[in-house]
Amino acid sequence: MLIQAKNLTKTFGSQTAVNHLNISIQSGTLTAVLGPNGAGKTTTISMLTGLLKPTSGTVEMTSGTKISMVFQQSILDDNLSVSENLIIRSRLYKNCSQKYIQSLIETVGLTNLMNQKYGSLSGGQRRRVDIARALINQPDVLFLDEPTAGLDIQTREAIWQLLHSLQEKQQLTIILTTHYLEEADHADEVYIIDQRSVITEGSAEEIKRKNAKSRLILYTNEPEIVLKQIAPTIAGQQSGKSIICWPENSKQALNVLESVENHTTDFEYRRATMDDAFLNLTGKEMR
Amino acid sequence: MLALCQRNFLLYFKNKTSIFFSLFGAMISFILFVIFLKQNMVEEWHQMPNATKMMDLWLIGGTLSVTAITTTLSILARMILDESRGVLKDFYLTDTSIFKIKLSYMLSAAVIGWVMQLIMLGLMLAYFALADGLAIPWSKFMTLVLIALAGALLAVAVNMIFGQFIHRVETMSAFESIIGAAAGFLVGTYIPMGALPQFAQTVIKFTPGAYVSALYRQALMGKQIDSLFAGNHQKSVFNQSMGIQLDWNGLLSFNQTYLIITVIFIAGILCIFVTELTKKYRGTITLIK
Repeated sequence: MLIQAKNLTKTFGSQTAVNHLNISIQSGTLTAVLGPNGAGKTTTISMLTGLLKPTSGTVEMTSGTKISMVFQQSILDDNLSVSENLIIRSRLYKNCSQKYIQSLIETVGLTNLMNQKYGSLSGGQRRRVDIARALINQPDVLFLDEPTAGLDIQTREAIWQLLHSLQEKQQLTIILTTHYLEEADHADEVYIIDQRSVITEGSAEEIKRKNAKSRLILYTNEPEIVLKQIAPTIAGQQSGKSIICWPENSKQALNVLESVENHTTDFEYRRATMDDAFLNLTGKEMR
Repeated sequence: MLALCQRNFLLYFKNKTSIFFSLFGAMISFILFVIFLKQNMVEEWHQMPNATKMMDLWLIGGTLSVTAITTTLSILARMILDESRGVLKDFYLTDTSIFKIKLSYMLSAAVIGWVMQLIMLGLMLAYFALADGLAIPWSKFMTLVLIALAGALLAVAVNMIFGQFIHRVETMSAFESIIGAAAGFLVGTYIPMGALPQFAQTVIKFTPGAYVSALYRQALMGKQIDSLFAGNHQKSVFNQSMGIQLDWNGLLSFNQTYLIITVIFIAGILCIFVTELTKKYRGTITLIK
C-alpha cells in the first residue's frame, strides 16, 4: 500500500467538508475520486497530499514517495513563457535532470509551445503544461484535481491517453478527482464521494454491476402481447408504444428479444452506465 | 530560492503596468514638486544661493525613500497574490522549504527596491540636469548606492511586518493605495517637516522611511549646507525644518541616523522571524518504511 488514509475528517468551522474517509492507494494504479460539486473532493485530495491538515484521522505514505499535483486552477504565470515557467519550477527541486525535462516536453507534446506565453495558450494546452510541470520531479504519485474540467472532448481524450501511457510506461500512480462520471471507466479503483463520505468504492465494473441495471427498450404495436412474454423478474413497464425492462445481463436481454421477435418493431439496449449507478446511489435531487 | 527570485524579477520587469504603479507614489511626489511646490519653496529660501538646486536635491532624497517603500511593497503584494491563487501550495510541494520561499520574496523585493531607487535617481538627476543644470560629484555615487540598499532593506522589513497579516488580494491593494498615497507625507517629501504641526512631525519621526530620506538629503546636500550657513543655529533650523536631520533631543548625525535604520531593520526582521517564518508548514503525512 502506497498511501493509506484512515478516518479522515475535515471541518471548517461548523461545516464538515469530509467525514471519516478511508482511502487506500496501491502502487501503479489509477484511482478516481468521483462526486458532485461540493462533495469534498478537493478537500480530500488536499489532505492526501499533505497540503491540508485533517481535523482528525491520519494519512500514511510509504517513506521516500515523491508526490506532485496538478491543481484545479492554473498556478503557472500567464506573463512568462512555457519554458520559463517550467525551468523556474524545475529549479525548486533538488535533483532535476535537464535531459528528463527535454523528454518530458516531447512526451506531453509541448515542443512547439515552449516560447509562447502561458497566458496565451488555450485551455487544453495549458492543462498539458500543468501536467508537464507536475511531472518535472519524476513523481511516484501524481494527484490531479479535476484535470479535465471545462475541456473539449478531444483534449479530454488526449489527456486520458497521456495519463494511461504514463501509468503504463513509468508505473506512475495516479489519483484524480472528476465529476465526469464516464471518466471513472478508465480507473482501476473508484471512490464515489457524496455528502462528504465515501458512499461506494471498487472498480468501475463492480460499481455499475452492483448499483445499476442495463436497460432494454422494446418498441411495439402490440404492447399487451409483448408484456405477457416478458418474465415478471425483468419487470416490463409499458409507456405508450414502448416497453422498458431491466434484464440482469445481456443473455437475458437476448432471450427477451428472441421471445418477442415477431411483435417488436425496434429495440434499444443500453448497458448500465456510471451515471445510472451514481444517480441510484445519490438520488436525483439537486443540492 | 534563486529561481523564485528570478521569477519575481521576470514578473515585475515584464509587466510595464506593475512597474508604473509601483513607481506611482514616487512619480506623484516628483510631479507635484516640479509643477506646484518647487516655486513656492524656492521663493521661501530665496536668500539662499543655489536655492533651486538645493530644493531639487531635497526632493530627490524624499522621492527615493518613497520609491523604496512602494516598489518593495509591490513585490510583497505578489506574495499575497500567489497565496490567494494557490501558487504557494505548488511551491510547498517542492523541495524548497517554506522559509526559503518567504525569504525569496523578501530578497527579490529588496533587490527590486534597490534597483528602482537607482533608476529613479538616474531619471531625476537627468531631468534636473537639463532643467536646472544640477550635477552631483561622482564621489557621492557609492554613498548613494549604499543608502539605496539600506532604504530597500528597511522598507522590506517594515512592509513585511504588515504584509504577513494580509491574506487577501483586495486588502493588499487597498493597503498599497493607502501607503502609495501616504508615503510622500510620512517620509516628509510633499511638504517640508517644518511646515507641519507638531503632531505630524512626531508621526514622521515614527516613520522609518523618514530616516532614509534624511540620509539621502544629508549625503546630497550636506557639504553645500555647511558652506551656506555661517551660524550653527541657522543651519540647525534649516536641517530640522527640511527634514534633513531628524530631531531626537538634538539633531541626529549621519551615523546616528544609519544606526537607527539598522536597529529598526534588525528589529523588523526579528519580528518577522518570530511570527511569520517560524510558522512552520507542518507535515501532516506520516511516513512509513
